[in-house]
Amino acid sequence: MTRSLALAALFISTLLIAAAYGGALVVQPAPSWTAWALMIGTSTIMLATTVLGAARSRRGIGRLVVPLAAMFVVLLVGFSAALAMPEEAAGSPLWLGLPPRAAVILYGVGVLPLFVLPIAYAMTFETLTLDEADLERVRQMKHAGGRS
Amino acid sequence: MLLQTAALPPLAQPIIIAVAIVYFVIVAAIGIWATRKTRTASDFFVAGQGIGLWALAIASMAATLSGFAFIGGPGLVYSVGIGAVFIILPVSLTNAMGAWVLAKRMRLLAEVRDMITVPDAIGARYRSRLAQGLAAVAILIAVVGYMATNVLALGLVIDAIFGVGLTWGIWIGTLITLAYSVSGGILAGVYTDVFQGSLMALASVLVFVYVLEAGSGLSGISRTILGTDPSFLGPWGKLTPLAALSFFFVFGLGSLGQPHVVHKFYMLKDPRRLKWYPLIMTVALFVTLLLYIGVGLAVKSLVVSGTMPALARPDDATPTFLLRFTPLLLAALVFSGVAAAIMSTVNSFMSIGAAALTHDIPVALGRRVGNELLWGRISTVVISVIAALVAQASGTLVAFLGIFGWGLFASTLVPALAIGLNWEGATREGAIASITTGIVVTLLFETLAYYKVYSFPAGVTVSGLSLVASLLVFLVVSFATRRGDGAAIDPDVRLVMEV
Repeated sequence: MTRSLALAALFISTLLIAAAYGGALVVQPAPSWTAWALMIGTSTIMLATTVLGAARSRRGIGRLVVPLAAMFVVLLVGFSAALAMPEEAAGSPLWLGLPPRAAVILYGVGVLPLFVLPIAYAMTFETLTLDEADLERVRQMKHAGGRS
Repeated sequence: MLLQTAALPPLAQPIIIAVAIVYFVIVAAIGIWATRKTRTASDFFVAGQGIGLWALAIASMAATLSGFAFIGGPGLVYSVGIGAVFIILPVSLTNAMGAWVLAKRMRLLAEVRDMITVPDAIGARYRSRLAQGLAAVAILIAVVGYMATNVLALGLVIDAIFGVGLTWGIWIGTLITLAYSVSGGILAGVYTDVFQGSLMALASVLVFVYVLEAGSGLSGISRTILGTDPSFLGPWGKLTPLAALSFFFVFGLGSLGQPHVVHKFYMLKDPRRLKWYPLIMTVALFVTLLLYIGVGLAVKSLVVSGTMPALARPDDATPTFLLRFTPLLLAALVFSGVAAAIMSTVNSFMSIGAAALTHDIPVALGRRVGNELLWGRISTVVISVIAALVAQASGTLVAFLGIFGWGLFASTLVPALAIGLNWEGATREGAIASITTGIVVTLLFETLAYYKVYSFPAGVTVSGLSLVASLLVFLVVSFATRRGDGAAIDPDVRLVMEV
């Protein structure tokens, strides 16, 4: 079920990205909706691919739903803010040394997931990624002659 | 332009030359040590499946970053602003994503089968020699192009340090890399990468400290730039939002199709050690890329404030900053780090290119090479000489070849490998069709652009379009052929996909 949903999201997001490129190929300069479509498509395809990889057959992604959903929200909110917030000016305020939109992109999209995803991967590794029993099954398969 | 193709300012000073010589001696010593340990084709191509976690993570980091991270990248930030960061922005996601999507399954495939190459995994997944052969052809084309561009960059760095001329620089760089690659194979490559990656990370952090000092902190840099050019510090810089986001898509999802990194998963001794791989790899990449952002922004600020004259070329940003604002010893370390970054990338390409030539293509043709170790060494020499000759031939040709490497890898390998190893409904026909689509779309449109027949409008890249096209073809063809023979999966591969 989880993999089927991820696959459907992967397909739809690929279509969305294709539409963004198609729109930019047909009309120049590219209409503003193309950037929104590419942003949503890219955020979704990153999430869908990660879920597809993290999901184990019949077991879904378990507790990983929280960090992966957070990653998706960070991407959507970060890129949306960059597209929608006012442009920079000489007197723009600085957030941690950068103008607001650049700060949202660099610290939000560029740094925040760095502290979440690798740690989520490590914390759930034995329970949701690779446990001893699975490794043993794989090794037994090799000894049993594997392919047939 | 993503790679170094223009001359650097002369760097020939005694300290820089001395540090570079020490660096090359250490690399040679590691090569000699690895040569003694390389006895079989498995040692040569997958380090005998015996490397540890830190070696895997640091070597993957070093292979990921070419000289572009130190020279071309800061130059791009200097010229287009924050938008250039979208090339490296996905790093915060891609290592964890790669671990979930590929690391475990690639490593477990090596547990049930004798895996040497990335196309081996495709051949096993789809029970198809044709899919394996097509993937190998795509890799070979991209490898020669990528290597030629990196070898040219290495020649430019060596020429700048030693003043030997570009031609000698290209051949000296090729011979040094070849010497340890051909004798010690990927084992030499991995352990020189560990040394080189550590050097790159250390140099980058130290330079970032000087960046903050020279620009009076990040706030000082921003205030100076905002006063004259606010759009430079906008999230897209001088790029359009579509172009910047396109970078994020291609370098984010495309990271799953980079064989010189993915291939290293086979080498890990114990699959359970993958637990900490994304964290180590992400932190290592993050600190190493501080230089990429920091130098580009600082130099722009220094130029705007009149402290530095405007650069003749954007690629002068790093050398000029280092020579003016950092101690000579640190500058020397960074220049060695640039050579290190390029050599570690070239070495990885040598290995996967040689494996495609001596292993995958013969397998696709239904033959096996008798002595894969010997032929692997011979192929390494042949590919390297071709790349060096191409690097010498023409600047524009080299730039052309270098541009499509990443896109070709991504469009041919992401669907068939990354998606295919996680979706039991993927079929042989879908894989073959998507790999073919990736090759044709990439080569066709890059060639049309090179000959100025047709170019995509701003914001649309060939890499992005070919990746989307191959993904769609893969999904649609697999769905359409899901009830045929091509949907069958061997039991051991199915188990690897299930766990």
